[in-house]
Amino acid sequence: MYKIILSIRYLVKRRIAYFAVLAVALCVFIVVVVMTVMTGLVSDFKQKNHRFVGDCVVGTESLVGFAYYEDFVKKLEQEDIIEGVSAVIKSYALVSPFGTERNLGIEIMGIEPVRHSRATGFGQTLYHHKDDVSRAFEQTYDPNQAGCVIGIELVLSRDSEGRYGYDSDPTGLGLAISCFPLTAKGALAKVGAGLVNTKTFYYSDNSHSGLARVDGSMIYLPFEEAQILCGMDGPVKRANVIHIKFKPKVKLETGYERVASLWRSFREEKADHRHADLLEKVTVQSWGNYRRSSIAAMEKEQTMMTVMFALVGLTTVFIVFVVTYMIISHKSKDIGILKSIGVSNANVMLLFLSFAFLVGFLGSAIGTVGGWRFLVHINGIEKWLYEKFEYQPLWDREIFAIGDIPNTIDLKVLGVIILSAIGACLAGALLPCRQAAKQKPVETLQVSQL
Amino acid sequence: MPAGCETKAGRDIAGEPIMSKDDFILKAEGIYKSYRMGSTEVEVLKGVDLGVRKGEFVAIVGASGSGKSTLLHILGALDVPDKGVVAFTGRDLSRYSSGELNRFRSKMVGFVFQFYHLLDELSVLENVFLPTMVSKGIFGWLSCRRWARNRAGELLEQLGLGERANHKPYQLSGGERQRVAIGRALMNEPSVLLADEPTGNLDSATGNGILETFKELNRAGQTIVMVSHDERVARRAGRIVTLTDGKICRG
Repeated sequence: MYKIILSIRYLVKRRIAYFAVLAVALCVFIVVVVMTVMTGLVSDFKQKNHRFVGDCVVGTESLVGFAYYEDFVKKLEQEDIIEGVSAVIKSYALVSPFGTERNLGIEIMGIEPVRHSRATGFGQTLYHHKDDVSRAFEQTYDPNQAGCVIGIELVLSRDSEGRYGYDSDPTGLGLAISCFPLTAKGALAKVGAGLVNTKTFYYSDNSHSGLARVDGSMIYLPFEEAQILCGMDGPVKRANVIHIKFKPKVKLETGYERVASLWRSFREEKADHRHADLLEKVTVQSWGNYRRSSIAAMEKEQTMMTVMFALVGLTTVFIVFVVTYMIISHKSKDIGILKSIGVSNANVMLLFLSFAFLVGFLGSAIGTVGGWRFLVHINGIEKWLYEKFEYQPLWDREIFAIGDIPNTIDLKVLGVIILSAIGACLAGALLPCRQAAKQKPVETLQVSQL
Repeated sequence: MPAGCETKAGRDIAGEPIMSKDDFILKAEGIYKSYRMGSTEVEVLKGVDLGVRKGEFVAIVGASGSGKSTLLHILGALDVPDKGVVAFTGRDLSRYSSGELNRFRSKMVGFVFQFYHLLDELSVLENVFLPTMVSKGIFGWLSCRRWARNRAGELLEQLGLGERANHKPYQLSGGERQRVAIGRALMNEPSVLLADEPTGNLDSATGNGILETFKELNRAGQTIVMVSHDERVARRAGRIVTLTDGKICRG
């Protein structure tokens, strides 16, 4: 009990202890704010990738694609774990807007919008046909031509508050899209006949997936049209990827294992077929693995941030070390008194560790409350700074794909931050506490020491 | 007095009845102690023999640097001799485990220092009941804190400091602080009170008051060992022991 009372009194009565509390509070405040924003960004980015891809992907990176996809889609659809399946054509193309001389390299995705919306979050990314995805490629400008859904960053720009200037009616924008069709062997299909397939599409809707790279380079076309453009519409049709969504109660790992097993048996079934070689390059991947290259970069940044703030935490360890050392130096007489009335070395150590614990606990509490209040108002503060001084220190909404600064505190992360702060304080105090425990009462109570 | 709150007066830390075969409560035999000062070794105690009987009031006198305080610290297990044996109720202190030594310092002896040595962060009352708080765990303390507060309050009343219970040590005079230190030393009803120059920092009137307090305690049966460089102060004790050149030369 005396340890609790004395450690509280040392904390309250010694002004230097306030500096240690302040240092911990500042550190916790910074880490809470930065980690919340960073964790929010990473988690938002992962969610968007998950929505874009679905739960699982069977496909190949090769532009040639793979054959017999329809058979595998049928096989998948018979499984009771599957919610939706969508075969997709993926390739690169040149796009030339009507009335301009410009040619732009873009990515195309050939999809069946209803099926694709069942397997991914595609339907929710549309602006004009969100409620009726089946009409995603319907345009009224030229009924004889097909429509296309364009990545939002290719057609619209954002204002300083991150809002897109949506058109009330997306008619009139025509695009000539050209692809290099490939044979099943990977050779150019139209050698001697102009090499490219070109077709006109009219802008029917835009897609806002929230993924900057996708929204800035992707045009979605009707599946059959894309298949023709890419030369995958031969007697044995081909596709590049199959997106799969599992039923809500199915665990990702379980679903993935099932699909992988189905694919293995499917490959064995087709082993003696003419285009069986194309199946060899096909892989089954979970959504996370499929988007690994994008997500890993964000996770790396988050790890680097964590390491950098761990270094900031080291400063706190040092400050707590110095403050505890100073307190113990001032309190050597107290140590002698306590030992003279029977306090053990271990309890002297625990007394000053309790002091360090209190510094960590109080600093964490102040830092957490401060960080929480700041995060609650972070978007307001940023908006106010912009309105008042035209200054956007963090979030240029004309550039970033995320509208608001993430400010939802992850309780697990917060718990780790608080425990780390208290741990850092205890670590910083450990050495001085050990020295305090070792002090001899006859030395500290000597008249010459007073 | 609630169960578990009573002190162990009349018993040693192992719970055995005190007083040994030779009737000494505290006995030092052949005590040697030296300190290193720079490159030289200073021999402070050179074979001290001293026995203290229960209920005695012994004064150890000697010139400054004669080793009086060192001897007192060794008797109270704050320091260890280089050679020799200190026995409490017949049991050699060097055989005590560290836990037993802590309990010995907490319950069997009470120290009064020249410079009072009170904790500035605690009130007068808290300083007095601190030894009881130290000897209990949280739950032990919670169960007997009322008793401890009452006893500390009674001690302060006896010492004439009833009105000062909630003051801080820095608000008291030197004599008052020394009386608080005496209250703290008596809190756990120790078998032996060890006082190191208790009047050394006080004016003679205040010092006399402290010595009167000691005499009263001794009359009530308290064993006291007091160190002083002042023969006049020492004469208030029942027995005077003189320490010269690291040895007892008169007892």
